[in-house]
Amino acid sequence: MSEWHRVASEADLSLEAPLGVRVGDVQIAVVKLEDGIYAINDVCTHEFALLSEGFCEEGKLECPLHQACFDVRTGKVLNEPAEVDVATYPVKVENGAVFVQVP
Amino acid sequence: MARTLIVGAGQAGRRCAEALRDLDPEAEILLLGEEAHPPYDRPPLSKAVLLGTDPGNGLFVRSPQFYAEKRITLRTGTCVEALDLAAKQVVTTVGERIGYDSLVLATGARARPLPVPGADDPRVHLLRTLEDAQALRAALVAKPRLAVIGGGLIGLEVAASARQLGCAVVVLEAADRLMARCVPPAISEMSAALHRGHGVELHLGCALRRITPRAEGLLLEAGDLEVEADLAVIGIGGIANIALAEAAGLAVQDGILTDGCGRTSQPDVYAAGEVARFPHPFFGRTVRLEAWQVAQNQPAAVARAICGEARPYDEIPWHWTDQFDWNLQVFGTPEPEMELVQRPAEGGRLTALSVDAAGRARGALVLNNGREATPLRRLIAAGKALDLALLRDPTVPLRQFL
Repeated sequence: MSEWHRVASEADLSLEAPLGVRVGDVQIAVVKLEDGIYAINDVCTHEFALLSEGFCEEGKLECPLHQACFDVRTGKVLNEPAEVDVATYPVKVENGAVFVQVP
Repeated sequence: MARTLIVGAGQAGRRCAEALRDLDPEAEILLLGEEAHPPYDRPPLSKAVLLGTDPGNGLFVRSPQFYAEKRITLRTGTCVEALDLAAKQVVTTVGERIGYDSLVLATGARARPLPVPGADDPRVHLLRTLEDAQALRAALVAKPRLAVIGGGLIGLEVAASARQLGCAVVVLEAADRLMARCVPPAISEMSAALHRGHGVELHLGCALRRITPRAEGLLLEAGDLEVEADLAVIGIGGIANIALAEAAGLAVQDGILTDGCGRTSQPDVYAAGEVARFPHPFFGRTVRLEAWQVAQNQPAAVARAICGEARPYDEIPWHWTDQFDWNLQVFGTPEPEMELVQRPAEGGRLTALSVDAAGRARGALVLNNGREATPLRRLIAAGKALDLALLRDPTVPLRQFL
């Protein structure tokens, strides 16, 4: 059952400054872009690293270890060394609170 | 249909084949590899493969089907013995002659052996191939006393992996500091503290003279020191595989000499990846770079040149090493004689910039601080003089200098 989880308040998020959160065992990077707030799995698919500790620009999040890039909106991997996309999660904002839906 | 023949099916060979396919849907692409495996990336060999944590897909970036889908003919276990440039053919060790229109030499490098007595003992390992890594792992899981010869990137990564597997580890380094070829002294000192803190016994300024096999283990004599170990690993760098090129009369000099696009001294013959020595605008001289980045991206310049577009490879150099809980990345050329501006961040993270006399960042390092990698690369690329007083203040964000 997918459930909505409150992971942050909207005020915690600034533009292109990823926030690492955890829902149960799932680590999630929550990223505010100009057109909205997005959530993707926080763990790089190449080697273990938290993408939320990486550099974010123009909707791309760069792994802090080996600079694989992921599209924050779609989770698509954009360059090697990673080969596999990261999961994306639906996001909603209610009364200034950010919720992420996690399966 | 023009045939490009790529000799060497490592990362550089694979990347050249892929880049060529992206540029030219018609090209016939033949990728010959000496090793039994499809192309794989080598960085995990000294870490995930030794630790047994490689999930399998980390190494082989592409699936076996990928090559068929891309119409790249991959022939593993095929060793080229000679080049016949006049006939535009290569000759394999079984006497087969294979013709080409364009030839790419992506023959890479091999581990540098150490010419000391006893180094040929089977308990003395080198690390270059997947088989090397698997053999070393098989030996390390028995928790032997390990001596690592060489305190560079490979040696220290092996030392860290072996320590994590529970081995007693001694590192013998001939220079007076660790990673002397790629980081400034202050970082060498931090690295020494990291390794000693994890129980690695470190001896600097200690050149190995002799290995003596004993009934039980090995005796290593280095400097004034005698070290007993069950197993040794030599990690003292690489040697470019230039024999084929040299025998065919190509210009070589610790690498195959090329221009910025990988073109060698002979028409229709190119060199890709770490075997190539080429003029690099950032260095202002020719360089041969042994790094994932070069194997990944220089071959694309070669593929372009084959297709008639001369756009040289000119990336700001970058390499990384992972040791214990360290991820260290190095950008540009942090020369030891330059001032190192250190910008500590919370949690033991660090960014450091090497600035030249004109105040320009020429090199940079991040220690567990990869978020600053891209801003640093841009700062180095911009090449403008920085306000050092501001730069020394770690609370001033890097983007302020861009």
